[in-house]
Amino acid sequence: MTVFRLLWRHRALVAVLVRREIDARYRASVLGFFWSLLNPLLLLAVYAVVFTYIFSPRFPGGDPYPLFLFSGLLPWLFFSGAVLDGSATLVDNGPLLAKVMCPPEIFPAVTVVSHLVHHILALPILFLAMIVSEATDLKVFPWTFPLVAVALIPWILATGGAVFAVSVLSVHYRDMRDLVGHLLNLLFFSSPIIYSLEGLQVPIVLHRILALNPLASLVVVYRDAVFAGKVSSPQIWLTAFAVGIISWWLGTRVFAAYRETLVEAV
Amino acid sequence: MKGSIRFSEVSKVFRWRGSRSRRETLKGAFFHRWFRRRGTTSEEHVALDGIDLEIVPGEAVALIGPNGSGKSTLLKLTGGILKPTSGTVEVDGRVTALIELGAGFHPEITGRENVVINGMLLGLERREIEARMQEIVDFADIGSFIDQPVKIYSSGMYVRLGFAVAVAADPNVLLIDEVLAVGDEVFTRRCLDRLARMRQRGVTMVLVSHDLDLVTSFADRALYLERGRLVAEGPADAVVARYRSDAAGDTDRGHEEGQARQVEGDRRWGNGDVEIIGVELLTGEAPSRMVPGGSSCRLRIRYSVHNPVDDFVFGVAWHRADGTQVSGHNTELAGFVPRRLASDGEVCCVYDSLQLAPGDYLVDVAVHARNGLAYDYWCDALKVRVTSEVEWPGVWSPPHRWLSTGPEWEKSGAKDGTDQKDG
Repeated sequence: MTVFRLLWRHRALVAVLVRREIDARYRASVLGFFWSLLNPLLLLAVYAVVFTYIFSPRFPGGDPYPLFLFSGLLPWLFFSGAVLDGSATLVDNGPLLAKVMCPPEIFPAVTVVSHLVHHILALPILFLAMIVSEATDLKVFPWTFPLVAVALIPWILATGGAVFAVSVLSVHYRDMRDLVGHLLNLLFFSSPIIYSLEGLQVPIVLHRILALNPLASLVVVYRDAVFAGKVSSPQIWLTAFAVGIISWWLGTRVFAAYRETLVEAV
Repeated sequence: MKGSIRFSEVSKVFRWRGSRSRRETLKGAFFHRWFRRRGTTSEEHVALDGIDLEIVPGEAVALIGPNGSGKSTLLKLTGGILKPTSGTVEVDGRVTALIELGAGFHPEITGRENVVINGMLLGLERREIEARMQEIVDFADIGSFIDQPVKIYSSGMYVRLGFAVAVAADPNVLLIDEVLAVGDEVFTRRCLDRLARMRQRGVTMVLVSHDLDLVTSFADRALYLERGRLVAEGPADAVVARYRSDAAGDTDRGHEEGQARQVEGDRRWGNGDVEIIGVELLTGEAPSRMVPGGSSCRLRIRYSVHNPVDDFVFGVAWHRADGTQVSGHNTELAGFVPRRLASDGEVCCVYDSLQLAPGDYLVDVAVHARNGLAYDYWCDALKVRVTSEVEWPGVWSPPHRWLSTGPEWEKSGAKDGTDQKDG
């Protein structure tokens, strides 16, 4: 909570830094800001071709597969992108931390917010894709789409917690970055992003292990809203929010524990 | 009071986490904890050890000492960048650190946007920065480059812009760590001029420098640190002299001081009826050794009377270190007829506009009888550095401007002689 208050107090600075992050990314490119729309569009186009004509995986409730995959992948890209950038943000801003008396919490927060902005910019593409598939009779339009705003809350909390922890740990331990890469890989394949847990034909032990993955509930609530067109059960919603809150709490605790030695370690 | 700094019993211990530490990596940390439950204390480094310190608003203090003596750590503690391991640091007012100029500039975005971000990081509101933008651009002297991405800047432009933002933050306390060494000569001069103007406004300054000439001209007081402890503290000249002799390996203190006194004997004479006990240059309220060219200042002579006299003249002579006479004036030439000098007091010579070219000047101060008999004649009583944005040659730097009818030219936006702007 104190972290929230701190970030709120410095919201102007966070906003300016997020802008810088986004501006700087597209400044030297021809298409500029359209990249943030084009990126998810290209991704979707590739999936549509590959998973319609080359492979065509089948899951109950997973049709059409390219859209199923896309709606699971979008929040994951937000999470993994922010965590990967988070592992570098404090190191990159080291000279600033050593010079100015500004709260270090700002930098991981900026990473999360700028990835969130990218994510939100990709949502219209997803929305349009759903309309197109309704129009072409591929699937029914998910009227629960606006619930994505609620489903994003546990994602933001979970991402925030992970980025806080990873950012400060990678300053103190230089091999953290490599480890994060591997962990993200593991997490990706153990989350129901490219598959769904219901239709999975695997040994019961593996199924149980996969169900333990904390991110599973987050993927499900998000995909239920934007793809399946149903409201997830209260139990899943509760799990998702619990995961988000616990992740945030843990992450900010880790950050606080290493905060004092941060400038020395950078 | 805004601008005061107080350290009480401050210690700072660093734990090595650099290349020397086993705990640099997660793998290392894991095995370290696994096999050696008790961490070794050899990984600790005491950077500051029980420092007590008080700096009053408007004071300029220099930190000197060999490398690794804790100067920069002390500066960072003052700036709140580091936290003390024990003890308390109290700083009142807005602190700006000139440590790494331009740190945090993002190469891809324009100078203007970087200025906004840097200013906000330094604690300014967005509209405050926009209000000062022109001033910042002018000082950094980068013209239309302000709207270009910072990555195409020369290193000089980069540093100038960094300096301009930092001083525009209008701090109560300014921390300066060797930054004046990075720029070219022109930049250093402009910075020094700017700092001198800020001192006039009463900004507290803490300087870390290995340039001892700069220390003596800049600071009122110096702190000499060695291995995290305060070795000596006092007037900048005295502390610098001590440091110089230590650095030269001369530990025979008595000998050194005797020599110093003898040197002083050659440069000061008189029968002692009246003694000059202090000479100070006042810019604004505070004494300073640095004065921006063209600004106003006062030379204050404090004296003490041992035998009352009826015949006396107070005089001041300015000259350059190479012996060039610059100016001399005394109370007799100014029309004061002496009656009696019986009690201690002070005499001030006020300069409304010190029209000297930038450089170092030495001031002789004397009190003598009209026939020349010296009560106290003190050569080189004071060394003054006059600063300016432009390196005017010579000794006289009058406000001036150019008028012309024939030539065609354009102006670079830079200074002319009338440009004696006030901070």
